[in-house]
Amino acid sequence: MNQRNFLFAVLLLATYVLVPAVFGDNNYVMGLIISALIVAGIAIAWALLGNLGGMVSFGHAAFFGVGSYASALLTMKLGWPVLLAMPMAGLIAVLFSAAMLPALRLSGPYFALAILAYAQIFRILATEMDWLTQGAKGLSRIPTLPVLFGIDLGSRSGSYLVIVTLLAAFIACYAWVRRSHYGTALRAMHDSEQATRVVGVNSVMLKAWMLFLSAFMTGVIGAFNAHTINFLEPDYAFGGGWSVLPIVAAIFGGYRTLSGPVIGALCIYLIDQLLFKSLLPTGHQIMLGVLLAAMILFAPDGLLPLFRRRHA
Amino acid sequence: MKQRLLWTTLAAAALSLPTFAEEFAVGVQIPLTGAQARAGTGMYEGIQTAAELFNKGNAKHKIKLAVVDDESNPAKAVSAVEKLAAQGVVAFVGGFASNIIGPASDASNKLGLVYMTAGGVDNDLTRRGYKTFFRVNNTRGYEKAVVTLLGELGVKSVSVVYSTKEATADLAKDLEAALGPKGIKVSMHAFDPAITDFKPIINKIKLQDKPEVIFMSAYENDYVGIIRAAKVLKPEVKAVIGVWSLATAKMAKDFPDLMPNVYGTSMLPHPVEFKQAEGRLFAETYKRLFNKEPDYQAQFGYVKGQLLFEAIARSADAGTLKKGGLADELRKTNRDTLIGRVTFDASGDNPNFQQRIGQHQAGGKIVIVSPKNEASGVAVFPGLPW
Repeated sequence: MNQRNFLFAVLLLATYVLVPAVFGDNNYVMGLIISALIVAGIAIAWALLGNLGGMVSFGHAAFFGVGSYASALLTMKLGWPVLLAMPMAGLIAVLFSAAMLPALRLSGPYFALAILAYAQIFRILATEMDWLTQGAKGLSRIPTLPVLFGIDLGSRSGSYLVIVTLLAAFIACYAWVRRSHYGTALRAMHDSEQATRVVGVNSVMLKAWMLFLSAFMTGVIGAFNAHTINFLEPDYAFGGGWSVLPIVAAIFGGYRTLSGPVIGALCIYLIDQLLFKSLLPTGHQIMLGVLLAAMILFAPDGLLPLFRRRHA
Repeated sequence: MKQRLLWTTLAAAALSLPTFAEEFAVGVQIPLTGAQARAGTGMYEGIQTAAELFNKGNAKHKIKLAVVDDESNPAKAVSAVEKLAAQGVVAFVGGFASNIIGPASDASNKLGLVYMTAGGVDNDLTRRGYKTFFRVNNTRGYEKAVVTLLGELGVKSVSVVYSTKEATADLAKDLEAALGPKGIKVSMHAFDPAITDFKPIINKIKLQDKPEVIFMSAYENDYVGIIRAAKVLKPEVKAVIGVWSLATAKMAKDFPDLMPNVYGTSMLPHPVEFKQAEGRLFAETYKRLFNKEPDYQAQFGYVKGQLLFEAIARSADAGTLKKGGLADELRKTNRDTLIGRVTFDASGDNPNFQQRIGQHQAGGKIVIVSPKNEASGVAVFPGLPW
């Protein structure tokens, strides 16, 4: 085990143990941390697609919503166990992301807008297919996370353990892809896609794999959220917030780094809800906006690269 | 002698000391920003008025409100409930929109705390079997109001235009089921909440249904779109009727060309006038606190707050408040309020609830026209905005 992996393992262990030990009795703070980590999960998936696939997405709400509905319906209509339905929801999000393959020919803002359009299409489908999704009325009483090995995963501390495990798996997967020869090829594609194709790299296939991986991660996070909040409706599941907030979090933390999106999501969500909201109970989003504007002006690479530069 | 005088003086002084009222914190989880902010703010003002009047008239108990804005977001509503519970509130009052009240009241039920609302009419809310959930209004009350109005007007055919949102769809379908057996012909027209052009639906109603009345189960923006389309196509109907957020002073002011003669549910006429002393006291206090006339959202906020605060006082007197007795105490509620008689059944619903129907009439007035025994004026029928 190299030093970096050792540090990651120590940090992960501390995260597993320390947070529930300190905040376990405070449902409110645990709830906020879980909400922040949900945003972090989408932010990792978004950063992966942007960094490795070279595609900027404005529509991750599409995968999030599909994953949410898939898991809710598998558990409610077919009686699947929640822990089996969640990865299956990720696969269903992958299946739906295949509909976006034609958009891979596009790049930059055109790809971003195409994905945004897909998110809207999926939202309308969820509204119109009321025989399956109960339409705009939505689904309530979605089964909660189960008890496993004596741990109630539906409790705040249990849900925290699940989301931290998911994020750790996502980061490990992201790191592996980045280090692998696929990662090298993807980075080469950023400089010149044509040159990479000349040397025999199937760029379309690689981009498709990144889209599928990003969709899977977001779908699983959507499923987790559905079983935590126990309620879904199309406007909520496919809401623009699930696309925008993770982008803000990833950029805030440093979207080119592995842990930047997680740090960004924790910072913006917790600072906003714990500090800004207590200072300005209504309209606290203004303070968050000012903070974000300042970050973009003074540290465009994000919080983590800024911290590293200061300590270099 | 001197010692006796001293003791007597001390005893008299002790008796004359002010007795400190026991204070109870009540959590208010309500949307003050976001899509539901307008309704949430109105409800919150009503709750504040209820707390003000309760504290003034009750020397033994005081209510302290702890408010958290849920930002019209279900996850933040759950966080709000958990935050307030951590602060030691004895119960919750608030919430607006069923999709937010659902998860928030799930959280309060897990915490074993009472959740009192007037902002969500989804039938599923009371089917969860929660002992801690209470609401003063429901779809049935709106349905009864419309059925009563149609009966009083002698209407024989209705075209129902409804949004596929949960509360509006529930109401439309319940109404269809209630009107059929009364021999009233009902045609149903669902629309997606995202659409803005209602001319195809109105054209279908005009050419195919040819009803006496158009009934809209929808929200503010939808009403405006539907009435605008109807004003262009002029179907030969006798009345246009809607439900919540339609018969309001704000709609009369913002859309003076669209509102004349339109009906909507309303607990209050405009300008506000109360027949009972309690109503006048509420209106007076509300005006003093917020320097404006109360609306029906404030009235609902006031009633749910008032009932909860009274139950807290009764439960505290009985010594059951800290033993989970508040829900049982609330279930004993049986009193006349500003929205009529309120009792709670086993599911926490108020079976007595019936809305009233107001009509926009000349001079920007809203006149309560149904039920007849509650009316403040006579309906203009036939009467249309065009």
